[in-house]
Amino acid sequence: MASNSTQATSTSGASPSRIVWRFFLKNRVAVAGMLTVATFFVVALVGLPLTKPEHPTLDPREVRLPDKLKPPLSMPNRTALAPELLPRLGVYLFGTDELGRDVFARMLEGAFVSLAVGFVAVGIAVAIGLALGGMAGYYGSLTLGFGRYRLVTVDTLITGLIDVMLSFPSFFLILTVVAVLPPSIWNIMVVIGLTSWEGTARFVRAEILSLREQEFVQAATALGIPGPRVIMRHLLPNAVAPVLVSATLGIAGAILTESGLSFLGFGVPPPNATWGNILSDGKRYLFDAPWLTFIPGTAIFLLVLAFNLFGEGLREAFNPKLRR
Amino acid sequence: MSAKTVLILAPTLVSLFLAQSYFWVPSFSDQVRGDPGRLTRYIESSIGDASILNPTLSADSASSEIAGLVFDGLIDRDMDLSYRGRLAESWRIFEEAYLLVDETQRLPDGGPVTAEALRRRLEAALAAGQPSLAAVERIEVEPGRELSERVEVKPADKGGPAKTVQLALRRPPRLKFTLREVDQDFFAKLDRLLDGYVGRIRPTRWLNPGLEPPLRERALELLAATEHNPVIMFQLRKGVRFHDGQEFDSRDVRFTYETIMDPRNLSPRVPDFEPIKSVETPGRHTVRVTYKRLFQPGFESWGMGMLPEHRLNPEALRAEARALGRDPDRFTARDSNFSRHPIGTGPFRFVEWRTDQYIRLARYDGHWDGPPNFREFLYRIIPDPLTTELTFYAGTTDEYAAQPHQVERLRDDPRFMQFSGLALGYTYIGYNMRRAPFQDERVRTALAMAINTQEIISYVLYGQAEPITGPFPKQTDFYDPTVRPLPHDPAGALRLLEEAGYRKNGEGWLEKDGKPLAFTLITNSGNEIRKAVMAIAQNAWRRLGIKVETLALEWAVFINERVNKADFDALVLGWSMGLDADIYQIFHSSQMGPFQLNFVGYRNPAADDLMVRIRQEYNRERQVAMARELHRLIAKDQPYTFLFVGKWTALYDRKITRQVRAPDGSLRYAAIVPTKLGSPKFHFNQWIKVPQPVGGPVHAAR
Amino acid sequence: MLAFLLRTAWKKLWTLFFVSVISFAVVYLAPGQPSQIDPLNPRFTPQQLERYRKAFGLDQPLPVQYARFYKQLLTGELRSFKDNQPVLGKIVERTLNSLPLFLVGTILVWCYAFPFGIATAVKRNTGFDRCTTVLVFALISIPGFYLAYLTIIFVVDTFQVDVIGLRTFGREDVGWLYGAMDRTWHLVLPSLLGAAAGIAVLSRYVRSQMLEVMSADYVRTARSKGLDENRVLYHHALRNGLLPFVTMLGLLIPGLIGGSVIFETIFAWPGIGRLGYEAILSRDYPVVIALNFVAAVLTLIGTLLSDLLYMLVDPRIRL
Repeated sequence: MASNSTQATSTSGASPSRIVWRFFLKNRVAVAGMLTVATFFVVALVGLPLTKPEHPTLDPREVRLPDKLKPPLSMPNRTALAPELLPRLGVYLFGTDELGRDVFARMLEGAFVSLAVGFVAVGIAVAIGLALGGMAGYYGSLTLGFGRYRLVTVDTLITGLIDVMLSFPSFFLILTVVAVLPPSIWNIMVVIGLTSWEGTARFVRAEILSLREQEFVQAATALGIPGPRVIMRHLLPNAVAPVLVSATLGIAGAILTESGLSFLGFGVPPPNATWGNILSDGKRYLFDAPWLTFIPGTAIFLLVLAFNLFGEGLREAFNPKLRR
Repeated sequence: MSAKTVLILAPTLVSLFLAQSYFWVPSFSDQVRGDPGRLTRYIESSIGDASILNPTLSADSASSEIAGLVFDGLIDRDMDLSYRGRLAESWRIFEEAYLLVDETQRLPDGGPVTAEALRRRLEAALAAGQPSLAAVERIEVEPGRELSERVEVKPADKGGPAKTVQLALRRPPRLKFTLREVDQDFFAKLDRLLDGYVGRIRPTRWLNPGLEPPLRERALELLAATEHNPVIMFQLRKGVRFHDGQEFDSRDVRFTYETIMDPRNLSPRVPDFEPIKSVETPGRHTVRVTYKRLFQPGFESWGMGMLPEHRLNPEALRAEARALGRDPDRFTARDSNFSRHPIGTGPFRFVEWRTDQYIRLARYDGHWDGPPNFREFLYRIIPDPLTTELTFYAGTTDEYAAQPHQVERLRDDPRFMQFSGLALGYTYIGYNMRRAPFQDERVRTALAMAINTQEIISYVLYGQAEPITGPFPKQTDFYDPTVRPLPHDPAGALRLLEEAGYRKNGEGWLEKDGKPLAFTLITNSGNEIRKAVMAIAQNAWRRLGIKVETLALEWAVFINERVNKADFDALVLGWSMGLDADIYQIFHSSQMGPFQLNFVGYRNPAADDLMVRIRQEYNRERQVAMARELHRLIAKDQPYTFLFVGKWTALYDRKITRQVRAPDGSLRYAAIVPTKLGSPKFHFNQWIKVPQPVGGPVHAAR
Repeated sequence: MLAFLLRTAWKKLWTLFFVSVISFAVVYLAPGQPSQIDPLNPRFTPQQLERYRKAFGLDQPLPVQYARFYKQLLTGELRSFKDNQPVLGKIVERTLNSLPLFLVGTILVWCYAFPFGIATAVKRNTGFDRCTTVLVFALISIPGFYLAYLTIIFVVDTFQVDVIGLRTFGREDVGWLYGAMDRTWHLVLPSLLGAAAGIAVLSRYVRSQMLEVMSADYVRTARSKGLDENRVLYHHALRNGLLPFVTMLGLLIPGLIGGSVIFETIFAWPGIGRLGYEAILSRDYPVVIALNFVAAVLTLIGTLLSDLLYMLVDPRIRL
């Protein structure tokens, strides 16, 4: 990281990232959040091979009608089920759904999908945010137009676009677009990504606007280093902190949005199980099989909470004003 | 006031205000809070809205339910399923039968056949007490007459416009017999009495040989050697008034019939009324319905609600069309505002219909059978099943249809009373008997024996179903309870298959002449129960050594491409049935064509004969006996593997009870008794809600 | 001042134009046009297709279709595919239904967020603060519909009362007080659930804002003068610290349409959010486009208002 970041000035000796990290570790809540996120990661990665469509170890698709709507921790019906149908764990850890499918296996399968939706969506959002924010910040004063007529500056154009996007009620806009497009997991990721880049773009723009006035950037420009290189090498690394924070919080938001879409019936289409659509399918059995609501609901809640606490911890760690 | 006080006081006050509102709303146990009227209001919920409230035009269950309260039929079914008069006080069914006089024949004594001679001869036999004429009341001569009518002829190539052609012919004289009761064997008996005279009549003799096929068919109908015309004489109740005060009479009955038969109205009830020849009104309170042929199931359809003629007759419709600025010539009963504001004679009159929200009915105080106890009937549309459940628990609907998986949990809930019964219908596996290996009865039986129906019932339906053995509703007398279900016996099934020539090969699959026993079982997607049955059957058959593929198809594809074209090996499907014994369309061999319902291709002459005779039989005992025989026959042939009939469970708030007027004029409470079908609503007009439940817990089940 | 106003309004107008274009394009430019997304889509009946073609005048060039659509919308001629009612009328009717929910929700947010945020700021870095931080994030993180179902199952199981809809069904003829209270009760759960996340977010802002002013010089001065701590907090700190929140009033307006889809669906509330959801389900595109547009317009009005308020409140801003 460039050594002349504003944050680095106050502390002596150690490198700024070290300081941030040390400070972050002192925040027990945030560390708990980070560890939880890590755990969910491991679960999702382990779950992927365990529930793969061909020869899964834990089969999330196996329908076992004799074992419909069994509560968590109940034993399978050994008399009515063929031996090859018995769950590999010997017990339904999280119970079964209305078709006798193992909710544990389904949750395991859904973990990866849910996380993937969050990451890909935010990846898209951050990419757009960085690009547009960077352009607005660095090339903001350039004007565009035909021939002699200069119409707008790049900055006006991009901030205008941000304003337009921020005017829409984002959830309803996402819902509209997802409903108009054919159902697909990629569409959902892209649409969430395309509608949540504005925050990142604003941060990046503001950060670069303030950075480009500083000596080291002025120096770099004076040395004739080309613009994109200045942005890539000197400006963006310094804008990493707020981007990282907003990305972490953005993943939380994206997962929530996906679950909301699933709830309304516009989520990731079957056969992909996500926590959102497990929950949505289970709501019909709220009184008869509450675990079908509780388990995915709690899982979404914990994951989103962990991301939020982690992100908030990062924000505090990066912000020297809050380090007290 | 300091800022701090405000900051603490404001949220506290807001919270308190919101919280106290709880004490003003009714709860399940205190539904009258602030609203004593709740006790005289019945609220029912429905997933879907009604579509059209004209009983002659509606086909969906929501519309039928509302129409059932706003309209009365001529008849309905009693507690024990026998017929009961409603707008008809009484009725009489008799028959008019016609016999063609064939003057080219000779009488047994050698004399020439003339109408008069035939009549004299038969009257003599009648006077002599001839037993085969026991039902005859009167014999008359119908002179020969010139018949002329216009017949619609569709051109040979499709698409061209239909033309109408004049058909004229001379029909020889006929003998008209008036029979005290309908007798489908009357002419068979007469034939024996007249030494085969009836059988020798050749109607083609009077036919112009050059007639085109459609005209020829119609001409042969007019020249039939014999004709059965069953007649129903309804005596209508006097003094019945429609909700608008107009008196109900025989013209309304005839008008209702005409509305159904008017092709512009596209009534879904045409098949029930098509066999009718004429509806006449000899008196203000007498209706005479004459059928073209013997069709006993037609009687049931008179339970349909009767329309007010004065509201929907052509003049009224034209006036309405003009008022709305529409073309009077193209304005039909379907377009009329009546479909959204019905007027009938029923116990409730229509008040208001808010699309997708509710339909409101109010008690009709002038109802001929005494007004209902409930002042208001609300039909609430709740599209979401969970919300439906929630509103029932909160006491804002009075009725809840429990799902099979909920029955166990709700059974002993002291808040509710529960009624249950068997559905009218069943789920089955049908085999395409045009294809190998299903022609072989032993194979079909073996397939059935491999399936454990009990397992399906307990695991797939949570025990909320019963096995069935044949094609009739289990609650009716037509169902023969002595037919034992096939045992679940995989070993026995294997023996049967071996008998049919199948042997296990090296890999354990059954084969015959080197060809494996393999087929595809299909059903429609979207019905989880059928899909489950499909999976269980596949599993059971695989264990026997049969290679079975399964396929769940989208409904439209399933019906149009597979079922209607009879392009399948075996399928899982269900029928929902009426209460009559008419299964002609499903199992008669004449109904095997594309788009007909005998898509499995069942063909058994004995069964065919029984099905025809059942729908022509007006004597209940004989009909029951024949139906039971048919049941046994079909159970033996196993064109279907008959699986199960579902059980419904309806829950009601236990604060609902029956209030009846005792002979001494006092009011007292009575238990709600279900009908033979299990339905508790037979005495709905006597239902009322009380603040606290009367008596102990009620568990009524059939 | 006037120049600033004009400049802002001019900018908003441009934004408005682009908003209208995007609302239209989102549906219109979907790959293959909505009519052809899925030929087997049973939701799209031939009649709807026909009306779709009519409503959008598909044979004409894009800008013409665009202009025509908004002309119809603004003159109130645009009609819903579903029931042929004017779209604008539907939106107004449903907005009125949503209004009480929105008002009570807003009151709840503001009533709870301030005391809560101030308390956490005052007791910074205590156990209380840490617990509330987690609680606040819990409220932000919990899926709204999950929380709603937990609440519903609890309330219905415990109290056995109706919580769905605008009011208890079939109680039209009760006394006005009972009627009013019944409606109030039906507002409680949806508005509280809708406010939960708002309370969390706003209280977080309040906390950081309070922290900022509490370390400001004038507060330190006041404190060092020996003033009563309560007076310092609620008089000096609060007044200055909370002034910026006044500007948020304007930003509330879009909330009327924004996040209500899920709660209105769960509680069968015939409001604007549910109208949107129903319209999407039945592919009622005129309503969908109009709602997106109207919501964006409300947001623009809100931001304009908030800019104005900010100007009034903060004397430093005189651009």
